[in-house]
Amino acid sequence: MSTPLYELRGATRSFQMGNSTIKAVDDINVTIDKEELIALEGPSGSGKTTLLQLLGALDRPTSGQVFFEGRDLASLSDGELAELRLRSFGFIFQQFNLLSTLTALQNVEAGLAPLGVSAGELRERSLAMLAEVGLRDRAFHLPGQMSGGEQQRVAIARALLAEPHVVLADEPTGNLDTKSGADVIALLTDLAARHGTTIIVATHDAGLAARAPRRLTMKDGKLATDSKKTRAAAKKR
Amino acid sequence: MFYLSYLRSELLRRKGRTILTMLGLALGVALVIVITSLSHGLDQAQKTALNPLSSIGTDLTVTAQEEGYGGGAFANRMLETNLASLGKAGQHFSYDTFSAGTQPSFAQSQANSVSSISGVAKIATGLTLTVTHQEGKIPKITASFRTGGQQINVSGQTKRPSAADLAKMAACLAKQEKKSSSSTKTTATTGGQSSQSGSLSGQGQDQGGPGMFGGGAAMRKCMPASMKRFQKTITTRRQTLRKQVNTPQTNIKTSTYTIGGVDTSQTDMGLITKTQVSKGRFLSKKNAREALVANSYASSHKLKVGSTLSIKKTTFRVVGLVQAPLGGQSADVYVPLKQLQTLAGQKNQINVVLVRASKSSGVGAVEKKIKSALPSAQVASNKSEADQISGSLVTASNLAKSLGLALSIIVIAMAIMLAALLTLSSVAKRVREIGTLRALGWSRRLVIRQITAESLTQGVIGGVVGVGIGIVAAAVINSFNLSLSASSKVGNSTTTGGFRGAFGATQSAAQTTTSQVALHAPLAGSIILIGFALAILGGLLAGAAGAFRAAQLRPADALRQVE
Repeated sequence: MSTPLYELRGATRSFQMGNSTIKAVDDINVTIDKEELIALEGPSGSGKTTLLQLLGALDRPTSGQVFFEGRDLASLSDGELAELRLRSFGFIFQQFNLLSTLTALQNVEAGLAPLGVSAGELRERSLAMLAEVGLRDRAFHLPGQMSGGEQQRVAIARALLAEPHVVLADEPTGNLDTKSGADVIALLTDLAARHGTTIIVATHDAGLAARAPRRLTMKDGKLATDSKKTRAAAKKR
Repeated sequence: MFYLSYLRSELLRRKGRTILTMLGLALGVALVIVITSLSHGLDQAQKTALNPLSSIGTDLTVTAQEEGYGGGAFANRMLETNLASLGKAGQHFSYDTFSAGTQPSFAQSQANSVSSISGVAKIATGLTLTVTHQEGKIPKITASFRTGGQQINVSGQTKRPSAADLAKMAACLAKQEKKSSSSTKTTATTGGQSSQSGSLSGQGQDQGGPGMFGGGAAMRKCMPASMKRFQKTITTRRQTLRKQVNTPQTNIKTSTYTIGGVDTSQTDMGLITKTQVSKGRFLSKKNAREALVANSYASSHKLKVGSTLSIKKTTFRVVGLVQAPLGGQSADVYVPLKQLQTLAGQKNQINVVLVRASKSSGVGAVEKKIKSALPSAQVASNKSEADQISGSLVTASNLAKSLGLALSIIVIAMAIMLAALLTLSSVAKRVREIGTLRALGWSRRLVIRQITAESLTQGVIGGVVGVGIGIVAAAVINSFNLSLSASSKVGNSTTTGGFRGAFGATQSAAQTTTSQVALHAPLAGSIILIGFALAILGGLLAGAAGAFRAAQLRPADALRQVE
């Protein structure tokens, strides 16, 4: 059996808020295999974003371990984590998080620049990626000149450019109207399928969640339900 | 390169902040450049002013005191112009007289006694005189006085003749009386009188006719020898004095200037040296009729290189303009020493010996030796000359010295602080952007490099702009021709010295010479480099402050930040 994509053992991330300690992620044990789409559900403040950050090596657990492709993220240096984020993870944010002073093209390029490819190749690949998200003609527009949907598509292009193993999307449709949201999800799943990328998406969108083969639900930092376990339990019965 | 295009986009699309940061650094740099070059200029100006002697290659000057030493033959001489001797009334005249002021002349040979003193490396001699130039029309009103021709009787009490003498005289006179039977009584009376008082009278041998003093011959014959000696008649010489009465002052102009006779055998030491020549050339060694003119005198008298100068009807050609040193040895016009000696009628006379010591540390010792060898001489050193200098230059220079550095530091510190604050606020506003970059896989090092490069670029551009502003500002200051004054008391005389005015115009010889020292803001390459380096340093420090803040952020925290 091949190593799972992720393996979390008692992963906990707590924050000190004055005198009290809040456990945003509380003792999560889960194994995630390569899959097309994994939905992370739960009400606001249930710890979805914090869990995504742990998975994306943007944060370290206060206790417990997060293994990615068999490597304990806690044992890696800052540099190695940066390398991992660059090559293996792609992020998509609710606020799009485009760099406001850069054009759509430059924003996409920023996602691959540290890899050290030549300026020509970087430009070529970025333009091709923009074409994939249907924004080839918007390449030289600034984020401020684009609609929310367009901005999120730029962000998707940026996240996928380095051909990551995992795309971590935090409420990607949260700031979009229904139509754009649906377009973005269609695009995201389509590209993920084409590039063989696993997408872990935190969402409130029941429609989107329903399409996911695996659904994880969080409540108060704990993993409340796991569709895989539920299925397995159902099978046993 | 992506990073460069990112940097460019970042700076261009946040123009306001970029320009503010750059201008802050630029103004800081410009101010530092201006302040530094100004204080440098003040320093230079002060150096020329405060080292009046070393600028002319000299450590000490030796002059004669007002009385004594060389005899002071020309000191405090009363000068008077006999206008009538200059030509006919109504004619234009131009007349120059020379006076020594407070420095009496002495023989050139005296200088040898200075040069033989041990520790003296080299000497040069000089003659500084004041020229009184009078020009105008000869006045008509002159009066003639005939004097002389008077006879002056000298009478004196002689030793009373003894009784024997008188008896002898009486006998002699009686004998003479018998000889001339037709004699008058007057003679006897005269004789009697003379026997009483011994009064002698005479009108000169020619005029003493026998008709008037017939008994004179007898009297002379019988007088005792001791009395004969006192017989004397004095007649003053006849002479005519012409003197102008109620001198019309209006159309006669009197001007004075100082003239220095330069020992042209040396060019590196003397009243003026080659280094002071600001335009043209130095005097040739040929004792030619050439003159150097002090800049200040040249500008006030509209003289330039190639102009001619008439001194006592002798034409001198101006070959150069000089920046005359401050102090007692400065002059308005410089000519070869021999020329001046001839013009002033002071052949082989000098009034200053310039001394260079063989070691700069030995100046004090040499000064003492000269003083003991020539007790009547006055010895002045750089220091004593410098102590006499005061004025706005000294004030400004002292101010620049104490404030310039502090001001520079404050200005550049403020510029750097401004840049750092702006960079920090920029970083604070870009926290989410930094978090995003980290999420995209940018290492901490890469983010820091990017932020530092941004502020370094601002520093470089700010530096270039600042250096530009600084250069323009310095040029503007130079174009204003600002000048500061430095005053120097000449000599230490308490008397008002030579009387130079022929028409009653007296001027003080012990005067205060004020020299205008031009204030320049010289731009040294080093100042520009330092200014530029400061801007870059400012950019780097600002960048480091921002980068440090950025580096401390954990990507997750940075992303959590709400805009």
